[in-house]
Amino acid sequence: MRFFKRLIFKLYVLFLMAFTIWYGYFMFPLIFGFEGKEAASTSLLELGGAEIETEEERMFAKLIKEQTQTSRTDLGYKLIEQPYIEGRFHHIGFELQEDQASICVRCHGNVPHDESREIRSFLNMHAFYLACETCHVAEDDGTDRQYRWYNKDNGEVVPNPVAFRDIEESYRTESASFYPTYGNYGAKISPGKEQGGAFAFIHGTKEMAFVERFISEQDRLGPEQKSQMKQVIHRKVSSDPIVCKECHNETDQYLPYAELGYPRTRVGELTDTSVVNMILKYKEFYIPSFLSPGTNDEGK
Amino acid sequence: MALTGFPEPAPAGDELNCVLCHKHRGLSRIDENGKFRLFYLNQELFDAGPHRRNKCKDCHSDIDRIPHKPAKKVTCTQQCHIVEPSGNVKFSHQSIADTLATSVHSSLDAEGNPKPHHEDYPGCKDCHDQPLYRPLSVYKGEVKPGITARAISRCKSCHTSGDFAEDFYEHVTSRLHKTRFPMETIEVCAKCHQDPDFRERHELDDVVTTYKQTFHGKLIALGSERTPDCLDCHVVPGENTHLIEAQDQPTSSVNKANLSATCRTSDCHEKAGAMLAGFQTHVTYDRDKYPLQFYMLMFFKALMAVVLYFFLTLIFLELLRRLFPRFAFFKDKEGNTPHHRIRNKKPEA
Repeated sequence: MRFFKRLIFKLYVLFLMAFTIWYGYFMFPLIFGFEGKEAASTSLLELGGAEIETEEERMFAKLIKEQTQTSRTDLGYKLIEQPYIEGRFHHIGFELQEDQASICVRCHGNVPHDESREIRSFLNMHAFYLACETCHVAEDDGTDRQYRWYNKDNGEVVPNPVAFRDIEESYRTESASFYPTYGNYGAKISPGKEQGGAFAFIHGTKEMAFVERFISEQDRLGPEQKSQMKQVIHRKVSSDPIVCKECHNETDQYLPYAELGYPRTRVGELTDTSVVNMILKYKEFYIPSFLSPGTNDEGK
Repeated sequence: MALTGFPEPAPAGDELNCVLCHKHRGLSRIDENGKFRLFYLNQELFDAGPHRRNKCKDCHSDIDRIPHKPAKKVTCTQQCHIVEPSGNVKFSHQSIADTLATSVHSSLDAEGNPKPHHEDYPGCKDCHDQPLYRPLSVYKGEVKPGITARAISRCKSCHTSGDFAEDFYEHVTSRLHKTRFPMETIEVCAKCHQDPDFRERHELDDVVTTYKQTFHGKLIALGSERTPDCLDCHVVPGENTHLIEAQDQPTSSVNKANLSATCRTSDCHEKAGAMLAGFQTHVTYDRDKYPLQFYMLMFFKALMAVVLYFFLTLIFLELLRRLFPRFAFFKDKEGNTPHHRIRNKKPEA
């Protein structure tokens, strides 16, 4: 009994000694402040580079330093938390669910298209609900190819988005205060095939593990090995994508919209003249002058 | 509309049906300078502010085709289609720009020449994102945030056409209090005034950090809306919020001669004595600029460190003794410490 009493006492003393040391450590920055740390973190020297001289270097250092910034707008009756984008005027309203499951996004990011000035934003828009391999699919016979939605968090097959119900409802509702959200479904469409009685995406967990391994090991690879591995990673995709009119046409669409849960009205919208004409007549499609009353020289 | 082939009815301010594309959250790209550009328009939030009466083309006036080329930057001073009711003229923010041009934030000096680092001076979008209404429901003496059908029902009994009653009510009740939560105002100022590079270029103190250390700053951090933010003290009395003057200007609200009056406005410390404003509000501890404050801070830091760590060391050694009560660096042949020898020493006969 006496032994246990002494043991408890010793443990108690040890705890107090540890607390005393922690308290001294905790109080140090509170007494001596944090001055200078903020300025130092913006230096490229931390990145092994030279002093910041150009705007590009400044942006690079800033991007490395910053996490995704958010802003809060308190309206009293409603709190809006949204991503902060420097220089943006219009409110965004909500965060996008990041795609954690795509092997392409791991390197190419969420906004990968930048070559074609005319349509790059549209292509990036599609990248929020279509997996890269949906359009950039490598050539095969395509006979048993199927499409499913996958969860952006874990890559698993999920049911068709419930957000489509809101979108369909919005076509029936006259109320101006009903605003469905387009494109933020928490899921993406991706191709796959039945294998052994179960559906499997062409990019699955095995491919993701391969990419993760490549990213972690690439510093140790030689230039030829890197090229070889990149070729293997990209073997199921093609740089020649499906073109717009293969989905946006009135007769034969590349994607099975109805099977993927797209409501009837939305399918009509995607395949009728509003979108199709815009694609076909891009250069000639001008806003008529009657939409700008009193300004005869506006519009063409 | 039929000619353009748009089947979907567009919202009121969107006659051109821009939201056909811009309703998609992912409409975006990285621009030539590496900046992320998002072209999504949240229609719900757009409709929650005064700009909802504008058409897209009122501001983005250079867009003349769909899809369009990269649009020019919007000029806030251009006239829009809204007729300003008090003067019956087309509305423009030009008068605000004129006020800003006479303030400390103007990029031009008194002679009209660019100031040093003139590119640092703010334009409209540097401080303003799209304004949103913060309406109040006022009904039978009860005030609640937001708008209710009950609060507006009396307006609508006469003003029945269109959304006039809603627009007017929301606009006016939003103006009965701050249209931004104070912490948001502070964060707007902090974008420049807390940036170390900016402060170095313009030789400015870190006024935002020092403000946050004050009683006012802490109250706002705790959620108060009745505590002064930057604008409450720095805007010239009676002027619009865009007229902020340098401290050395005779009419500046923070000029030494006016500071006391600024603190004693009817909304703040009305009955306080003149000495209320006798302290240095934004205390920075720069050794060259404020040596007295710097050395006083050093003294108190040193004092606190010495006192704290002295007593922490004392406590630690005391605990160590409790852990090893018989430990000693020096012991005699019988294993007694000097302390034991003294305690066990028999008195001499």
